Amino acid sequence: MLTADPDADLEGALGDWRQFRRRKRVSDIHWIDAFYQAYLTGILGLVAIAVASSAVGDELATAAQIRTTLADGPGWIGGAAAFALALGLRSGSRGGPLALERAEVRHVLLAPVDRTTALRAPAVRQLRFLAFVGLLVGGIAGDMASKRLPGGTLGWVATGALVGLTLVGLAAGAALVAGGIRLPRWAASLIGLVLIATAAADGIDLMSTSPTAAFGDLALWPLQFRLSGLIPVVLAAGLVVAGLGLLGRASLEAADRRSTLVGQLRFAATLQDLRTVIVLRRQLAMELPRIRPWVRIGVRGTGRWPVFVRGLRGLLRWPAARVARLVLLGAVAGLALRGAWSGTSPLVVLAGVAMFLAGLDAVEPLAQEVDHPSRRDASPLVAAQIHLLHIPAGVLAILVSAVCAGVAAAVPGPGSLPVDLAAQLVVALAMGGLGGALISVLASPVSISEGWSLAPPEAQGMRLAFRTAWPPGVAVMGAAPVLLARNAAEAGQVAATGAQPGLIAVTGVFVLICGWVRVRDDIALWWKAQMELAKPNGDRTADADR
Amino acid sequence: MPTAEPILVADEASKAYADLVALAPLSLSLTAGQTIALVGHNGSGKSTFLRLAAGLLDLSSGSITVAGVAAGASDARAAVSFLPDEPVLYDDLSVREHLAYVGALHGVEASAEEIDELIARVELSHRADDLPARFSRGLRQKTSIALGLIRPFELLLVDEPFVGLDATGKEALLGILDELHEDGATVVVATHDPGFVERADRCIALRDGEVTHDGPATTAEVLKLVGA
Repeated sequence: MLTADPDADLEGALGDWRQFRRRKRVSDIHWIDAFYQAYLTGILGLVAIAVASSAVGDELATAAQIRTTLADGPGWIGGAAAFALALGLRSGSRGGPLALERAEVRHVLLAPVDRTTALRAPAVRQLRFLAFVGLLVGGIAGDMASKRLPGGTLGWVATGALVGLTLVGLAAGAALVAGGIRLPRWAASLIGLVLIATAAADGIDLMSTSPTAAFGDLALWPLQFRLSGLIPVVLAAGLVVAGLGLLGRASLEAADRRSTLVGQLRFAATLQDLRTVIVLRRQLAMELPRIRPWVRIGVRGTGRWPVFVRGLRGLLRWPAARVARLVLLGAVAGLALRGAWSGTSPLVVLAGVAMFLAGLDAVEPLAQEVDHPSRRDASPLVAAQIHLLHIPAGVLAILVSAVCAGVAAAVPGPGSLPVDLAAQLVVALAMGGLGGALISVLASPVSISEGWSLAPPEAQGMRLAFRTAWPPGVAVMGAAPVLLARNAAEAGQVAATGAQPGLIAVTGVFVLICGWVRVRDDIALWWKAQMELAKPNGDRTADADR
Repeated sequence: MPTAEPILVADEASKAYADLVALAPLSLSLTAGQTIALVGHNGSGKSTFLRLAAGLLDLSSGSITVAGVAAGASDARAAVSFLPDEPVLYDDLSVREHLAYVGALHGVEASAEEIDELIARVELSHRADDLPARFSRGLRQKTSIALGLIRPFELLLVDEPFVGLDATGKEALLGILDELHEDGATVVVATHDPGFVERADRCIALRDGEVTHDGPATTAEVLKLVGA
């Protein structure tokens, strides 16, 4: 057996080997690839800036708008800091934010090397990248703000960059600290929830201030300098320093699990494989089905509706975290509806996206069938029929979110909706969210095979964009009746009556989607047969001759 | 003869994932210098126990000490070499580079001859400069075995080492384990292979996290213990 030198500089050796591996990687990168990636990033960045600029506009804010911004802005902008902190705490409680190579966890972190030193380099590298993104995005946001608000372009750009940097520091620092002190997941979720709730309460004037309002003060420095704006900067710096100091205490188990899943998650995200992203994210969060269901269903008498009962059994094993997520997403959708009802129309998009995410959870029993096609195809029922029979269980699940949305929208207070309108929207939101999720789970990934192989690239691009946007678009459609109701109310009519055409339209779309679920396989087969017939080769003739 | 000093002591060590119990509270003591076979049916907690002892998993309750310190502490990491059931390797390092790197992480300045000798022992000489991440399961397993042996250790924890190995590879590994035993190392192997269990000084059988057998075992006893 080989012997170790007790005086060996293990950390030095680690540094040397990392340098060696970096040199190897760099030598493997082709400059054309690197240039192409930089080119793509630049193009996409410019498009994003152009879209955001047109959305913000360049009309100078009125004095009244500036007064409102100064009064209410800190609370709302503080919500971003609350969200960043919540995100960081959640990530840290699951072993984030570092995503190491799996071999690095197994060989470096299981060696007697000082773990704080071993993890510092990857942590600093990640922080450096995030800081760059924060500075860039913040600076651009500041430049856009300068077009509408007084204070000078340089001041806004500098403040925006500082805000972006601080936001990144808060999120990454909170994650590092949470990982270092091994904050339990429930505690991280609770703290995050309290921070977001207080920021929201501050935003809608239920509270005079919130713990994260100081971040809003920082963001509005060019309008009014408040010393309290320094608090989040100092806090972010403190969290990052403390987090780096605690690196060595992070859980190896969480790092190992994360190293396995994060790579797959990135790959799935690259391929726009939403279902795989969801499954991997659940694994990352250790979101396991309950061994004991919430309510046990007996075996007797359940044979008449096997697919529905199978779905119900799956729902009854949902972990508390998933149920809580459905409730939370419903509450978010409800609050967004209040905002849209009060005049901020774009919030219907937020409500729709929240219901789409809830829908992706609600269709879990059906998604399981899609994940295990060989088991499904061994059944005497055709696949499409099984898919259709899973929809009732999905309806039950999405109703949890939709009812929460309705309650959140109708609770008396600023921007509350009439109860009859909220009740209508419960139905519309449920159908929109579920419909969008059904399309997302069942529609196959975009390929350029078969009938699309001859289509021009522009058509392929539009098809890809449509395929990506259509499922959440259906969910947003489910929230849109609130806008019709608002228009009706502004015209002096009954709001609920005004929303009815929207509700009918959403119902029609949902029925069509259910029909598509039942006949999509038949349509695909028919289409494939037509393509075969249209092929200009002699095989078909030869077959016919034989 | 093995000394009476324990190299590993588990005291009510358990592991649970939410309401799923992977290892019920387990207490046992492993004497230094022994070869121990850890057997049990699927899901009995063998791999979980080895990972806990290696410091790769966090304990839910209880404690495990290795060479007198808590599992996962720096001194324990220096004392334990863990060979997982699924080899974990770098994408961009050759077999030779892997060995040099892992050796360096443990303070071993292995010469080229020493590395070549170890590579020959696991029958990888013809692939020494290839990337093991692209190897077949069996060849990756051999690389993983070499990585476990390039550094010094007092306790070798091996999880299902014979899976994926061909007959000669298995024989070579059994020979290496015998040599390690003669050198005084403590070797714990989680396996379903009755052939290895008969060579071990001690066979510990787990069922639902409880020790159901502790001592020498025959092939027939092993087959019964693993539920075959």
